[in-house]
Amino acid sequence: MTSPTDHAGSVQRRLLGLLLIPLALLLAGGILLDYTIVIRPIPAAYDQALVNAALGIAAHVEVDANGHVTADLSQQADTLLRSDRYDAVYYLVSGPDGGYLAGDRDLPVAPGDPRKPTYRDTEFRGDPIRVASDRVPTAAGVVTVSVAETLHKRERARRRVLVSLVGTDLLQLGATLLLAWIGVRYGLRPLRALRDQIAARSARDLAPLDLAPVPGEVRPLVRALNRLLATVREAAEAQQRFLADAAHQLRTPLGGIQAQLELLAHDPGAAPLRDRVRALHEGSRRAAHTANQLLALARAEPSAVVAGDIRPVDLKALVTDAVATQFDRALAAHQDLGAETEPVHVAASDWLLRELLANLLDNALAYTQAGGHVTVRCGADGAGAFLEVEDNGPGIPPALRGRVRERFYRLPGSRGNGCGLGLAIVDGIARLYGAELGIDEGADGRGTRVRVRFAHRLA
Amino acid sequence: MRILVVEDDALVADAICRGLGRSGFAVDHVGSAEHAEAALELEHFDLAIIDIGLPGADGLALVRRLRAAGRALPVLILTARDGLADRVDALDLGADDYLVKPFELPELAARSRALIRRMRSVASARLAIGELALDLAARSAHVGGDPLELTRREWSILECLALQAGRVVAKDRLLQAIAGWDEEISHNAIEVYVSRLRAKLGAAAAIHTVRGIGYRLDDVAH
Repeated sequence: MTSPTDHAGSVQRRLLGLLLIPLALLLAGGILLDYTIVIRPIPAAYDQALVNAALGIAAHVEVDANGHVTADLSQQADTLLRSDRYDAVYYLVSGPDGGYLAGDRDLPVAPGDPRKPTYRDTEFRGDPIRVASDRVPTAAGVVTVSVAETLHKRERARRRVLVSLVGTDLLQLGATLLLAWIGVRYGLRPLRALRDQIAARSARDLAPLDLAPVPGEVRPLVRALNRLLATVREAAEAQQRFLADAAHQLRTPLGGIQAQLELLAHDPGAAPLRDRVRALHEGSRRAAHTANQLLALARAEPSAVVAGDIRPVDLKALVTDAVATQFDRALAAHQDLGAETEPVHVAASDWLLRELLANLLDNALAYTQAGGHVTVRCGADGAGAFLEVEDNGPGIPPALRGRVRERFYRLPGSRGNGCGLGLAIVDGIARLYGAELGIDEGADGRGTRVRVRFAHRLA
Repeated sequence: MRILVVEDDALVADAICRGLGRSGFAVDHVGSAEHAEAALELEHFDLAIIDIGLPGADGLALVRRLRAAGRALPVLILTARDGLADRVDALDLGADDYLVKPFELPELAARSRALIRRMRSVASARLAIGELALDLAARSAHVGGDPLELTRREWSILECLALQAGRVVAKDRLLQAIAGWDEEISHNAIEVYVSRLRAKLGAAAAIHTVRGIGYRLDDVAH
């Protein structure tokens, strides 16, 4: 499963990717550059020290009258030369003929260049060494002075530079990336606020979004959204007005016809036609009922619902009213109608819930036999508030409990003169409020229990 | 008992006038809010039945004007609309009851009778429900001229039910009617008082139990 966001990616991820990866590469390159720039002069400095030492030794080279070359270093000078905190220091002075004059025999010599000092990395007595050789011209010819040392000092210096340089650079890298990340998060805060504002809204809320906290870049988007919301809102309001007018235009004449036929049924003058008048009266009643149901169904359509209708509804009062309204009918049909209520409120439209409960109760009373019981309940459990009607009538076979919610579906062989819209209306209204319609059998497996379970409760 | 019907639909108006006439009311009919105001100015009526969807000023505006003018006559609103707004508006504006079209004529007659009875009981402190007669000032009840022996609490319950005759009265409401400040009375006690009342009323009036909610006092003829 890929959601649309997978394709577009998140702006934050893109920004972070575009910022952090190049920044990290740049800083890594910087570290490399720093390293080479700082590390490279280190050997040169130590090499220079070796050459200086060689020059110092060369000062002791003397040529006597016979053209005999000597290099006489006192014990003191020798000790001074060799004293070093970290490294072993060696030297060798060789005459113009290559003969040994002073120092350590067998010390390797860097290949010659008479004009400038030369260097060589090699090994001596098992340790790696660096040798600097300088050639000193004397009256008796060129004397070669070589000075060498082991590499501990150089290694140490390189390590210290590495640690301090790379350490600070890595710290800088970390700080830069962190700042970039914080900046991006902070910069995108208005977008997240907008997202939360939208997420916190009810699906039925058609009020415009607040433009004030929206950054300029997305403002046109939010404006377009607000225009769309306004269009939907106007359409819903127009739909409501239309339905209200339609209700008026349908019910007024139907009410007139029904009342006139009712009068006619009792008119002594119409006695010979009584059966036909009664049939007409019943027919007009059915037409009125169907018109009412169709209007209710249309008004339960999500497109016709305006959010402003939603208020806290007292379910206990709703149940009490519904039972009181239908009490005469139950009395006449010798049915025991009652209620079991707990005080509980839900957020909904009062009259749509009235419509819902009236339909549930109408079904129960229509299909329950004389002497049967019908009980309306409201209350709440952990999950939320519920509203239910239970009867001990004929019940609905489990296989058909899904179908009875369909519009105009009637149970095979059912009595009464319903139009098959009752449960479709209940289902439609329940869906508006995210409530769930459950159809089960009643207590001890008899009859029907229809429960509307809300996902919330107020107080 | 005289009723003014304010309804612009001829078919409905005619049915209401005939139906209520057959139930023993004297009925006058006008087709607009303006005519209704003129009629109420000239004559005395016990009840106005007003349709919301009138041409010109609508029924709600008429109720508002009547109440603003200090007229206390009971008003029953008729409407072909549903939805909460109209209902709330109508009752807030001072209408006493509300019926949605299409309605059954006996229902309209019963509600009209109840409204008029309530209005008259306020004016005269007397209440008649079929054979049962209550004198609210003397706190006494008669059935067919014979006085009923009632305890203080039985009387309070009967009065409460009678003032709302034909309507369901919640048990809590009855509890409030009989409970003193310092007394705790249970729902079961209410049942005991009601069963005694039933025995004393006999066939004169019926007190129906509305399971889980309360009771309803009905005229046996109803």
